[in-house]
Amino acid sequence: MLSAGRVPDGGPIISAEAIRHSYDGKRFALDNVSFQVGRGEVFGLLGRNGAGKSTLIKAMTTLIQPTSGQLRILGYDPRKEGRKIRDRIGVVQQGESFEFASVEANLDLYGFLWRVPKSERKPRAEALIERFGLGEFRRRRSWDISGGQKRRVQVAREFMHNMDILFLDEPTLGLDVLMRRVLLDSIRAEVQRGLTVVFTTHNLEEADYLCDRIAVIEEGRILALDTVENLKRLYSGKKTIDLTVGASEAARFFPALVEAFGSRASVKTTGNAAVLLVEDPKEALATIVDLSQRLGVHLEWLTIRQNTLEDVFLRSIGPQGNSHGSS
Amino acid sequence: MALPNLVRLIYRNVRVNTDPASLVILLGLPAMYLIFFGYGFGAFAAAAGSTGGYISFLAPGMMAFQAVMAGTVGGSMLWADRRWGMLAQLLVGPFTRIEYLFGIMLTSLLFGLGGAAVMLALAIVLLGAATVPLAGGLAIFGAIALGSIFFGSLMLFISAHIKSNTAYNSIQVLLIFLVNFASTVFYPFSSRLPYALQVLFVVNPLTYIADTARDGYNGALTVTNGYEMVVLAVETVVLLVLATRAYLRSDVSTE
Repeated sequence: MLSAGRVPDGGPIISAEAIRHSYDGKRFALDNVSFQVGRGEVFGLLGRNGAGKSTLIKAMTTLIQPTSGQLRILGYDPRKEGRKIRDRIGVVQQGESFEFASVEANLDLYGFLWRVPKSERKPRAEALIERFGLGEFRRRRSWDISGGQKRRVQVAREFMHNMDILFLDEPTLGLDVLMRRVLLDSIRAEVQRGLTVVFTTHNLEEADYLCDRIAVIEEGRILALDTVENLKRLYSGKKTIDLTVGASEAARFFPALVEAFGSRASVKTTGNAAVLLVEDPKEALATIVDLSQRLGVHLEWLTIRQNTLEDVFLRSIGPQGNSHGSS
Repeated sequence: MALPNLVRLIYRNVRVNTDPASLVILLGLPAMYLIFFGYGFGAFAAAAGSTGGYISFLAPGMMAFQAVMAGTVGGSMLWADRRWGMLAQLLVGPFTRIEYLFGIMLTSLLFGLGGAAVMLALAIVLLGAATVPLAGGLAIFGAIALGSIFFGSLMLFISAHIKSNTAYNSIQVLLIFLVNFASTVFYPFSSRLPYALQVLFVVNPLTYIADTARDGYNGALTVTNGYEMVVLAVETVVLLVLATRAYLRSDVSTE
């Protein structure tokens, strides 16, 4: 890790105050976003595609300047001191990015651009090739490897240089399960050494596994912001019911289900599956079974479980997430 | 001692743009023009009663042509970096937009001068040892340096505005063809040309570069070459400013 920058001991390493950003002057991609991130924290930005996560990352990494609001990264103002910020951050962007060179040349060249001395580049590259399993295709050109392999190179490359903050914009996109875990564990190891991480994802399991705190973003606004445990606890009095019906029966069963529960549950449907967040699971089960019998609908799957981060997420984004009704 | 950012970017640009396929296009194409056109049209000119060797006329033209090729390198670099995500990646790294831009311009310049040197060497091989006077050599490389920045700026300007690969490649091919054949690279200016072509010849900066390279190569520089270089320098500055503005306002990605 690098030095502390202009941040006083214990002060936030990232501070955003009422950030707004509009690309077209009409619609706000970020709308009054405020939060702080402490040193060594893994801060998750959770939201659907187009929610504003990547715009926020672009603002924090100086790629765009917010329309209004105050942003401080490592104590520096991105408008005036972008270079000082960029000297001390690492960024894995959502889109692919690679040099027209071999995998190992990509690593070496990236280290060179980041002023890593030649004597350090070789061992660092070898360690990353080993850690991210790049050995098999290390001499192949980066455009000749698969999407998942490119993603591994892109993530590994960022660890060629030292940094204070690592911004990861959906870094596990296109990675298989094994590599996802390797990446997440690598990030955890770096965090233990003092790295601060800002991590965007719409994969809730990853956010649960990695993040200390999570901000749920929707339409450019932060809808919920807390530690993972607190967010789950917020809904601890409720239980989640998952159910599945036959594909041909979903269209007539789900509207009736929403009507039957009214404001007693939030119902989220996807295809022929529904997720209900309820206060009284016993009473809810009775309602569901009764309704299915009345309509002659066969329930293929029905289960009650504890709340997960996904439930918190669905709850936060409310009716806009294909949800029906609310409690 | 740590190298300046600009040097790092130039090294990176050269390293990723010197793959065999790129070099064949950059150097092979002008070399083939020189050999095939030089001998082919040379025989034709001899049959028509010309006393001068066509290949000695064409060789400085091909050196000038390297300015155009260098320009395409610059435009392609920006376009490819944007297309493959490296522009955004570099701009969230320890570089400024201006450093990136000048990295590209100076890389174009290097390619232009390097390519001209290769063409000069090839001309010496084909024509035998030439005695290019020092002032002539300086004029050749000065004109090509200015031309590389001019065409680099032109292609940067275009690539800052265009997001489609097909459109960019089509425009690039069309421009190379137009600029190349509406200049004195392959044949001398003649008052017997149609008026529209005469105008194209006169406004085409490659004409000035080719004329200066040819006169420098033959030790026949005149004040006119000086005027041509002044005009080219002014055009280059104007285009560089326009390209810089277009680039600074452009998106960093094609997404």
